[in-house]
Amino acid sequence: MRVLGIDLGSREVKIVLMENNKIIQKKKVSTMSFYRNYCSFDGKIIVDLEKLDIRKIDKAVSTGYGKNNTDLSMFTPINEIKAHVYGGFYQTGLKDFILLDVGGQDVKVVKVEKGITTDLELNEKCAASCGRYLENMANVLEIPLEDMSTHYENPVELNSTCAVFSESELIGKIAEGVSIEALCSSVNYSLYKRLLPLLSKFKGKKLILTGGVANNNAIKRYLKEDYEEIVSIEEPQFNGAIGCCYYGSRFL
Amino acid sequence: MKKIGLTTTVPLEVLIAAGYTPVDLNNIFITSRDYTKYIDIAEKDGFPRSLCTWIKGIYGVCMQNDIKEIVGVVEGECSNTKALIEVLELRGIKVYPFSFPHSHKLEDVEHEINKFMNVFNVTLKEVEVVRKRLNKIRALSKEIDELTYINNKATGFENHLYQVSSSDFNGDIDAFEVDLKKVICDIKNRNPINKKLRLGYIGVPPMTCDIYEFVEELNASFVYNEVQREFAFPRYDKARDIYKQYYDYTYPYDTEFRIKELQKQIDARKLDGIIHYTQAFCYRAVADIVLKEKLDIPILNIEGDKLNTLDARTKLRLEAFVDMLLDLKVAKK
Repeated sequence: MRVLGIDLGSREVKIVLMENNKIIQKKKVSTMSFYRNYCSFDGKIIVDLEKLDIRKIDKAVSTGYGKNNTDLSMFTPINEIKAHVYGGFYQTGLKDFILLDVGGQDVKVVKVEKGITTDLELNEKCAASCGRYLENMANVLEIPLEDMSTHYENPVELNSTCAVFSESELIGKIAEGVSIEALCSSVNYSLYKRLLPLLSKFKGKKLILTGGVANNNAIKRYLKEDYEEIVSIEEPQFNGAIGCCYYGSRFL
Repeated sequence: MKKIGLTTTVPLEVLIAAGYTPVDLNNIFITSRDYTKYIDIAEKDGFPRSLCTWIKGIYGVCMQNDIKEIVGVVEGECSNTKALIEVLELRGIKVYPFSFPHSHKLEDVEHEINKFMNVFNVTLKEVEVVRKRLNKIRALSKEIDELTYINNKATGFENHLYQVSSSDFNGDIDAFEVDLKKVICDIKNRNPINKKLRLGYIGVPPMTCDIYEFVEELNASFVYNEVQREFAFPRYDKARDIYKQYYDYTYPYDTEFRIKELQKQIDARKLDGIIHYTQAFCYRAVADIVLKEKLDIPILNIEGDKLNTLDARTKLRLEAFVDMLLDLKVAKK
């Protein structure tokens, strides 16, 4: 059985194809390009699968931000909390964990006990604690995002609540002569600190980190202080799409 | 007949035999349209904001409704109740103490009930006469419970309402009996409720009674109300006397004893999942740790505070929980 899962994120659309529970194809397309180049509209959004090079589908499941955005023709939409939890099951085999998904514009924390969601928290309207913040700050520092995310030592405090004000605060620190490494650490640390209030109610032993920010080693290092184990998964960015496939093959 | 206020279920048979009309103060508080005024009264008199709302509600009700005598449960209930009783005594309310012994030995329960009968100057024989009369009504409450989980005709809310009302029989035994008979007749003539999920509600009765209707919108229904059912003494017919009846009662005793009954009901009622309601600042939230470990069923712990309707966050949590339970149920088929 071939199941297609699509996770429509704010920055990228993640697409996973499974055959008999094995991932056989996966790809990322920028969200803008996905809607512009691979979709048409006829009352509902129709995805041009051929153009995406995807064929012979038995089932298709979609998730993403907001029910209306993910209601694609021929797809069964599921909410993204569930998609990520199912993705977590597929990728770890665990049934009890805390899942932290830090995406481009939103953060979700989910508590899973005995294989069922028992608690969840989402970030507020502000995107200061998300991946987009890291991207912007890397731009200000004019270094690649991947390089920035390796630095964790000697952070200085960046206090702004607002991600835009943080940029000018960062520039101020550059002027004060703080080293570029310490500035990178500071950006990572400030994101970690913004995540902490959300995580305070989610005590647990194992933390699964998903979303683009899971590739940030500095943040993983900081989180290690708060949990017994940070569970690494192979495809943190595809977790939602994988969850869609998991749902499609088990429950549809 | 003289009114006597109750903070929780106590051997009502003794009070009725002594010529009192027992009134459950919790029920007055929660059914009042303006329930927050009772909380305000307590807070103005110095009860902390970080204290169980039920305690404050009971205090407010006593102050406003001219309650002169109450039974205060000093063992088997929380330490907040003990402190509440002391404040009520300070306000000139006569308090009769009662204990559910922590040992949970039959002879200790017997001793406590004997003491209670002595205080009210009634004999065992008189108490047993009342017990037999009340058992007829308890049989009706039990019928409503069966109409909920066997016939699927009574709603979770009806089940809650008529069982929780058994804590004081709405202050009028005969009228309550008539009510129950009428309701049973109405319910029997209905079509069964067809919801995919069978949920259990455990923990103290909710501040947020809209939870029953809310889960129905999610294709689920409550077919078990743990504590409310205990208040109605469903095993009355197995008790040979008043002592045994109040011994075979899970609410005030240890969690281990409670779990045995829970497990029985989970199996008998074929529950898919459990919602464990706890009141903010209540020690009972700690019992959730034991319950989750010992009971092999998905459990969602939700917490109520002052609001008498579910807040948006709790609704979201209920939705996420029920959504995944539905997936599992479909997959099992």
